[in-house]
Amino acid sequence: MKMLDVKNVKKVYTTRFGGNHVQALSDVSFSVEKGEYVAIMGESGSGKTTLLNILAALDKPTSGEVLLSGRSIGSIPQKEIAAFRRDNLGFVFQDFNLLDTFSIQDNIFLPLVLARKSYEEMEIRIRPIARKLGIEPILAKYPYEVSGGEKQRTAIARALITEPQLILADEPTGALDSRSTDSLLRLFRDINEEGQTILMVTHSTKAASFAKRVLFIKDGEIFHQLYKGVSSEEEMYQKIADTLTMIATGGARRD
Amino acid sequence: MTRFFYSKLAVENIRKNAQTYLPYMLTSAAAVTMYYIMHALSQNVGLGKMVGGTSIRMMLDFGTIIVGFFSVIFLLYTNSFLIKRRKKEFGLFNVLGLEKKHIARIMTYETMYIGVISIAVGLVGGVVLSKLMFLLLLRLLRFDVQMGFEISGSSMVMALTLFGGIFFLTLLGNLRQIHLAKPIELLKGGQVGEREPKTKWLMTLFGLVTLGSGYYLALTTESPIAALTMFFIAVMLVIVGTYLLFTSGSITLLKLMRKNKRYYYKANHFTTVSGLMYRMKRNAVGLANICILSSMVLVTLSTTVSLYVGVEDVLKTRYPKDITISSHRVTDEYIAQLRTHVSGVLEKHGLEQTNVMDCRMLAFVASQQGSDFITDRSVVNGLPGRLRTLLFIPGEDYSRITGKTLTLAENEVLIYSEGADFPSDTLTVLERTFTVKEKLSQFAGASNLAAITGNHYVIVKDMGVVEAIYEAQAEVYGEYGSQLAHYWGFDLPVSGDELVRVYRDLRANIPEGDASVVVETAETVREAFYSLYGGMFFLGLFLGALFIMGTVLIIYYKQITEGYEDKQRFEIMQKVGMSNEEVKKSIQTQVLTVFFLPMIASAVHIAVAFPFMTKLLGIFSLTNTALFAWCTVGTLLIFTLFYAVVYTITARMYYKIVRR
Repeated sequence: MKMLDVKNVKKVYTTRFGGNHVQALSDVSFSVEKGEYVAIMGESGSGKTTLLNILAALDKPTSGEVLLSGRSIGSIPQKEIAAFRRDNLGFVFQDFNLLDTFSIQDNIFLPLVLARKSYEEMEIRIRPIARKLGIEPILAKYPYEVSGGEKQRTAIARALITEPQLILADEPTGALDSRSTDSLLRLFRDINEEGQTILMVTHSTKAASFAKRVLFIKDGEIFHQLYKGVSSEEEMYQKIADTLTMIATGGARRD
Repeated sequence: MTRFFYSKLAVENIRKNAQTYLPYMLTSAAAVTMYYIMHALSQNVGLGKMVGGTSIRMMLDFGTIIVGFFSVIFLLYTNSFLIKRRKKEFGLFNVLGLEKKHIARIMTYETMYIGVISIAVGLVGGVVLSKLMFLLLLRLLRFDVQMGFEISGSSMVMALTLFGGIFFLTLLGNLRQIHLAKPIELLKGGQVGEREPKTKWLMTLFGLVTLGSGYYLALTTESPIAALTMFFIAVMLVIVGTYLLFTSGSITLLKLMRKNKRYYYKANHFTTVSGLMYRMKRNAVGLANICILSSMVLVTLSTTVSLYVGVEDVLKTRYPKDITISSHRVTDEYIAQLRTHVSGVLEKHGLEQTNVMDCRMLAFVASQQGSDFITDRSVVNGLPGRLRTLLFIPGEDYSRITGKTLTLAENEVLIYSEGADFPSDTLTVLERTFTVKEKLSQFAGASNLAAITGNHYVIVKDMGVVEAIYEAQAEVYGEYGSQLAHYWGFDLPVSGDELVRVYRDLRANIPEGDASVVVETAETVREAFYSLYGGMFFLGLFLGALFIMGTVLIIYYKQITEGYEDKQRFEIMQKVGMSNEEVKKSIQTQVLTVFFLPMIASAVHIAVAFPFMTKLLGIFSLTNTALFAWCTVGTLLIFTLFYAVVYTITARMYYKIVRR
């Protein structure tokens, strides 16, 4: 079953006075099955972030469409878009995006509060997630009191607590040290194995090597893709590195 | 070439930060204008020659000092906001390779440009407006003197020195900040992880107690004399209470709200409560300042307006009759002489006196305790709230005024009270006890002077009793004792200049002897009253405008600064699934609270202070409470209007920043 279907998405930015057109995405099509773990790789300026913003309904494509469980994101009225995002998507950002004025627990509750859930339900939902992510002891603390890895796990808890169809992660390991990165990636893999669909944008080979499938994006197009299949993380790492070298040296396109 | 570069960079910086620098320059210019006008008015030669000119000049001198003082405070305060906002920029310059001394150079240029432009604009404004203000002042004072256009050189020099000095001070402060800071700190600017504020129960309680007792004093103080002494204490208590409640009370309240989970975890409360908590932590002192400041503005404005608008009322209260002749240390012979003199003058003018109030009396102050009037001086001095004036009037004079025949025994009295209660049937004073035969519901001789202490008019059998009491009180009070007095007031069928002529004739050749005599008419004091109250009104308006400007500026900068800080927070919330409307609503609640909390608090202060102020105004003989109420409500409305306009502008700026 296709969870996410991206069809011929094109995005052109026009400068304010209409003088210059910058093509961020020229023609992107791919799909994500339910339960998949997909990484999208590409260099800076390749259009990764634009693509993610479109998937997150933060931006609209110039042409083409994005379907989430068969529903076109572009057709959602502006008024419902916040609710749609809240109910269907979970976000994990590079810089965590936690609010300093809330405790760790309140940060995790934020989307539920916005969705007008009762306090009792929030309490019930947070417990298993906090246990799984190992953040139970820090729930009462504030973001400035915990480490980067703990912050990112808080962000993940915040993304998971709404039980979203799809988790969108934007460079989730970008601001972490290598130990935190390892544990975070293992966490993502575990969550995915429990059935959570994840789409991650990254330019870290290591992060991508944990995904089941890696899409390479270059100059606004999907250039290549790799399936992990039965290979180990180390083998996958090697494959990705090779592909990246090939892309960088301008190798021919192949599927 | 290089120097050109720095000055260009400075200009560019000011232009880039126009959003924050323009209001700063406008305020500076306005402050210069106000200072110049105030100083120029106080230096005006023509003013000194007028009636009451000296008191006006004293007030204007006082005004000049206040304007100067607050200009220093406002501008230094605003500057600290500006420099905080720009730290990052300077950090970037530093990282890009500009040394601190180069940054200092740029800053010097900036301050120079800002200072020169502000002072120049301000002086031009001052010169243009000073004439207008002078005409306004003359109008308020009811002087109709035409004055030529003049530019005061000394005022210019003073303004230039003062504001040049202020700008120099801000420059020094900024340079010191840059000099002390490390580039990495500059880059980070203000964004350091902020700790959650702590609940301070003790402070909150203490705040409640101080504010409560201040309010209690204001509401329960009865007599104006007591109000005068209590005023300062009450104001101090309220100020302390306001600060404590703004700083600790608000946090405590918000924490309580947060403790209530069902309340707190609601979409519209969640972000607002937590946002407000940090906002209050950062702004409580500033908001308390604004609250106190606006309370002061409101009190100053409403009282001066009432006094000015109520001059005629005041005159009526102070001088209920067209002519008043009051004499002290009188004897019967003296009164006879006086009568001959007055009737002679009236005959000369062919006038007949009407509404005559002509009686001898003995008035002294005692402390009332039920039916007892204590004349011990230590008691009298100690309890201002119970002070009453006792006015003893001989029965024969009472009969003459009212036309009623009166039969009183030696120890019987009639009593008429104003501004105080007299609950019992006996009256004891100076070891004599009288039986109250009747409590009068009205008395023609009452002069409405009851405002300061309560008055009891005591009508006794005859002059013999009055004289006996006179002897007794003279013994107790010694040199502070009262004299036998004669009060004579009447109306005449003339007014204006004609009345003044009669008044002059009455004063000329008035018999003196041992007595001291004062002849008064409202006509001659009207001018003096207008010049005094007009001057106060003018000063009130001027300082009111200055304070409003300061308040507005502080709030504007607060909101702008917060806008930049909140921008990121709202971005995150939107990413997590907060809709645009929810963001807008949450912002609105927070900004509204921060904006109108001080306003509401000062409105409450004013409402509580109202009875208090009414009593104080009584000392100035303004007893028209309705007028004072209208003036207070009026000033409050105008102030709120100003506030609302600034709020609208600021809120729009704030949205723009947050949404960008």
